Amino acid sequence: MGNTATATATAPLTTLDPVTFEVLKNAFATSVDLMSEQILRTCYSFVIYSRDFSSALCDAEGNTVMQGSGDIAVHVGTLHFQCKAVIEEFGTDIHPGDVFAINDPYRGGTHFNDVSFIRPIFADGEVIAYAQNKGHWADIGGNVPGSFDVNAKEHFGEGLRITPVRVWSKGVFLHDVAQLLVSNTRAPAQAMGDLHAQSEATAVCERQMQRLIGRYSTATVKTALKETQDYVERTVRRRLETLPRGTWETVDYMDADPGKGEGLVPIKIKLTLDGEGIHYDLTGSAPVVETFLNSGYGTTFSAIYAGTKTFFPDVPLNSGFYAAVTADIGPEGTVVNAGWPYAVTGFCSGPYEKLMNGIFEIWSQVMPERAMACAFNLEYLLVGGRDARSEKKPYFMWYDWMAGGWGGRASKDGSTATAPVFGPGLAVQPLEGQERLSPVLTSVHQIAVDSGGPGRFRGGCGIEKGGTLTDAESTVMSYSCDRARSITWGIEGGLPSIPHGVWLNRGSDNERFLGSNFSSVPLQPGDSFIRPSAGGGGYGDPLERPAEEVLDDVIDGYVSLRRAAEDYGVVIDEIDAELDDFRIDFASTAAKRESISAQRQGWLEVDPTVIAEGYKSGEIDMLDVIRRHGVILDWGTGELFPTTTDQFRALMERRSAQHWG
Amino acid sequence: MTQLRVAVDVGGTFTDVCIFDEDTKTMRVTKVPSTPHDPMIAVMNGVERGEINLSDVSLFSHGTTVATNALITRKFPAAALVTTKGFRDVIEIRDGTKDDLWDAYNDVSGPYIRRRDRFEVSERIDFSGRTVTPLDEEEARRVAALLKRRGAKTIAVCFLNSYANPAHETRMREILEEEIPDATVSTSAEILPEIFEYDRFNTAVANAVLAPLVSGYVNRLATHLKEGGYAGDLLLLHSGGGSMTPRMVEKYPVRLAASGIAAGAISAKHIAQQCGYENAVSLDMGGTSTDIALIADGELRITKEWQVEYGHPIIFPSIEVLTIGAGGGSLAHIDIAGSLRNGPQSAGADPGPACYSMGGDQPTNTDANVVLGRLGTSLAGGAKSLDKRLSAEAITRFIAEPLNLELAEAAHAIVAVANANMADAVRLISIRRGYDPRDFALLAFGGAGALHGADVARELNIPVVIVPPNPGVTSAMGCLLVDIRHDLSQMYTGLAANADADDLEASFTALESEASARLRHEGVADENALLQRQVSMRYLGQWRSLSVPMGSGEGALKQAITAFHEQYEREFAFRQDGTPVEIYQLHLAAIGKTPKPSFRPHARTSTHPGTPIDTHPVYFGADGWLDTPVYDRDTIPAGARFRGPAIINQLDSTTVVPPYTHAEIDEWLNIRIHLEEILHG
Repeated sequence: MGNTATATATAPLTTLDPVTFEVLKNAFATSVDLMSEQILRTCYSFVIYSRDFSSALCDAEGNTVMQGSGDIAVHVGTLHFQCKAVIEEFGTDIHPGDVFAINDPYRGGTHFNDVSFIRPIFADGEVIAYAQNKGHWADIGGNVPGSFDVNAKEHFGEGLRITPVRVWSKGVFLHDVAQLLVSNTRAPAQAMGDLHAQSEATAVCERQMQRLIGRYSTATVKTALKETQDYVERTVRRRLETLPRGTWETVDYMDADPGKGEGLVPIKIKLTLDGEGIHYDLTGSAPVVETFLNSGYGTTFSAIYAGTKTFFPDVPLNSGFYAAVTADIGPEGTVVNAGWPYAVTGFCSGPYEKLMNGIFEIWSQVMPERAMACAFNLEYLLVGGRDARSEKKPYFMWYDWMAGGWGGRASKDGSTATAPVFGPGLAVQPLEGQERLSPVLTSVHQIAVDSGGPGRFRGGCGIEKGGTLTDAESTVMSYSCDRARSITWGIEGGLPSIPHGVWLNRGSDNERFLGSNFSSVPLQPGDSFIRPSAGGGGYGDPLERPAEEVLDDVIDGYVSLRRAAEDYGVVIDEIDAELDDFRIDFASTAAKRESISAQRQGWLEVDPTVIAEGYKSGEIDMLDVIRRHGVILDWGTGELFPTTTDQFRALMERRSAQHWG
Repeated sequence: MTQLRVAVDVGGTFTDVCIFDEDTKTMRVTKVPSTPHDPMIAVMNGVERGEINLSDVSLFSHGTTVATNALITRKFPAAALVTTKGFRDVIEIRDGTKDDLWDAYNDVSGPYIRRRDRFEVSERIDFSGRTVTPLDEEEARRVAALLKRRGAKTIAVCFLNSYANPAHETRMREILEEEIPDATVSTSAEILPEIFEYDRFNTAVANAVLAPLVSGYVNRLATHLKEGGYAGDLLLLHSGGGSMTPRMVEKYPVRLAASGIAAGAISAKHIAQQCGYENAVSLDMGGTSTDIALIADGELRITKEWQVEYGHPIIFPSIEVLTIGAGGGSLAHIDIAGSLRNGPQSAGADPGPACYSMGGDQPTNTDANVVLGRLGTSLAGGAKSLDKRLSAEAITRFIAEPLNLELAEAAHAIVAVANANMADAVRLISIRRGYDPRDFALLAFGGAGALHGADVARELNIPVVIVPPNPGVTSAMGCLLVDIRHDLSQMYTGLAANADADDLEASFTALESEASARLRHEGVADENALLQRQVSMRYLGQWRSLSVPMGSGEGALKQAITAFHEQYEREFAFRQDGTPVEIYQLHLAAIGKTPKPSFRPHARTSTHPGTPIDTHPVYFGADGWLDTPVYDRDTIPAGARFRGPAIINQLDSTTVVPPYTHAEIDEWLNIRIHLEEILHG
């Protein structure tokens, strides 16, 4: 610590000469990216194929020296924990040709599906580094296909917990051990394929490191492994010198704890910048919830690092970054530090996204020119059962996630139809591939009109995707998401977007709103389902958005004529829609904007029971309930959630209303 | 009568013309400024400047950036998309990924066709090709009438699962053609009959937006050439390393999307083979970037994952070229944490390197080479002079002083980092394929390639560097070296072990008859037609596949499976013999052989390089400043051999021959630099 005080621009900051240092730093990056490249081309899990994986080079103590440039955000800051766990477990009993596996979320891992393979790299008879590849297996056992059991309270139902275990010993494949691991999944052959592919990928990194050792000497490479971390730490600390000092706080919410009835579940974040480093404090966050939406310490740190990194996009990620960013995550037993044996697989839909977006909100104040409102919530829909299209009726698993909208920004609209902040490189699957593999016919996959949170800069648009079950038997549906109640929010006067949640047989007599988290709902052939992904929250007062920009959104169908008037106060006449001929009625627009401006504070104070009744009777539509009145209901039955509404209104007051001129 | 073969390669700044004389077997080159508002003007200027009588020309070949530029600038004619109801946004949703994972302000660009120009009709076909919802003809007519009213000039028709059954797309095309006879229609199954809607739709959409524009340009040029007396077919270089005639460009303009990029790699392959190397790395280093391509076993690496801009894939086979931000104008700087960095930011052409005296004060690779004595202070035969003092000032201020280095050490450090970055990029595309660089030659060209080539080769343990006679115009020659080529493909999924040999044969035969028809349409005589089968396979359960050649007749499939295991092991260093192999796709390359120039070797007249035009100190790192002879390339005879250090100057390039190497001028007038410690060490 404190090395910035003595370092000056004229003293060499590395003991290596500048060329050797730069060359080795870049070569480490190449050796890690080569590992990623190989796993992308040899994997079996379609989740890995969709880029849910990461690669790292760690030093002899397990500290991360370099992470892959295309890694999924959610693995950031967990790989060193996994490597250290292997070192703690095996100590000096680590040999050339060994490969270890681990997925333990109670030792800094993410969730059980994410299995790491770690290979020691030796020089002159000692370990000098480790190569690691972590990938999301399509299934890791547990109660439900895909191993995402929303109702799990403890990890025993979630899947196989792999504490550090050796799968290759001195170059000999331990078939018995590997067999035990893959036999606890629903797709053993596929898992065995990934086990081999991932282990072989770490060998690619090892070969590159051996080349560097041969070329530059063991001592030089070891020094570079250390100095690459120092370099990153120094970069962050230098940046901090130009930033304001102080303390910032926010709270974001998960929807509910089923063990406690309605009421949002708080996650509190405090940031202190003291010129020395970046310090977070999460104390005061809620106790563990009775679903799998809890986070272990590894993923909480991951959210903190990934959220912060978003404001330092060009700084490489390694343990030097983790040294400059510290956090007090409070005692075990909370949603952000669950501990054994609480269920944690759904951390990604739960605390992770709240921490990321809360950190975005805080840094939006530190660096206003990079501000961004809340993004849509990561979501997974799982439909699993027997595929009756062929005689054998094999198991099928339609495991689907969507892109959605990101928040409006200080100088432009939010990004439309974009992968989640959990992993901006996580690709959505082509439905033509899904239709070959599963008896689900996709009915729609399109941008959801009016899903972007209104603002001076509109939130990016979300998507809606629907499907119908065709020839299937014994089929159930599960969903892992959030933000049906803690709806994706705007900042600086911007408005919320739309609630997440799945509708069954929408528009028919047996329509049901299933909410944003549910497990094992039975489906019959012919049943249809549809769900949106939220858009991003808006940035700035929507009444200040130029009418011409609203008109453009109307022509492209991102915003409806009705919401143009209700959200933005822009009145547009349709002349000839076929030729995109719409005209702004400027006089009516001025009047409408004035009227909204005069009334909107009052709308947020209307008795919520009145709003709920209006929703049930069809007089008030969902977007008015949310954007005008800040009222949260069960979107299926119209039942009012009074505590939730109070909490949500308080947030809207702080993030939206207080900024209206 | 003289017989000429002419190749014209249009670049961003210059249009290069290569003229090969079939009688004398010699080539001459000329360069004219490009005319971006109408590239044809530069082409015709080049013809004039090269004193080409078009009636003497037996073959006129052209590499063009018209398509690439149109995709970048998005200057398209009125285009529209017609798609399945509920799926209007497939090309906007894409796969949702960001290119820049961490910068929340750096967005992926929007789709080629805006949402307001995308229309839906009711129809649906399932994964097996069965109709779920018939095409609503009435609605289709309504959409066609609407598009006519909106003045659509070019239309992409993209329906779900059309790769399994194109009937609805075909019918929609008929309706559109009836209602709007003058519009161009591209259907997705015809452009790319492959699974995955986003890849197929976007390729078809790219084809549609380029259609009238690119074929308009090509037809206009063809007409001009014909009027000038050229009697043959204009050949257009396409991304896949082959060429096509204007007749096929009309249908598949998207194949020209990387036309300009492919030419350099093709030249490199030719030169490597001329020198007897089946394996080579092509390093084309210009002012702002370096293009790297890999030639293995005599073939350029081909990829199907290609795009002009991130998020808009064009799934046609394309020569794999990796472009990195390392060029003569790349800026060296010390970053916030005190580390020496090089690129990817560039001083560009304006202000350019500090030594250009155009106001740039930041040091570039060019400045470092000037300070090191490698680059003279007079370029292009005196047309441009460089100010060494400004280079020294920039390097002193921004690099040497902060790092406590001598000026020469600092300049050397700049060049060393640039070389290491290029070497890393070569590793990314070579090592991941399992190739050993020691089996390769390095082809160094472009304006700056020969300055850095030997150092990059040393970094990679490549034993020999080849610098072609005209490094600055090497690309254009690539247009003269290709055959007419079409790449066809078909989905074919199933376990290889269970594959019905007759059915497989029938599928290939069907592809072959389509391929032969295309070649005949281009006027290729049957004896010049060549059809090559390939099959993509993967281990059952995997997502990516590998493509291997396949023969015909009994045992062909078995051989292909063996080849798959071998290829897999080479690329990934392991194999899984116990896992079943699955067939994924069939591919057919249809090649129409065109005559190639046959170059005449030069007699090796002397082993002496002649008299140096100058001798001056040049800095070579650990060896310090060495008195180094400077030769004029035009005067060094074939057969000359000499030891480094030496500098070789020519109009469009400078070659550095470092110490511990020796150079020879071969019978094709290439400079070959042999790195001794790699050869013998």
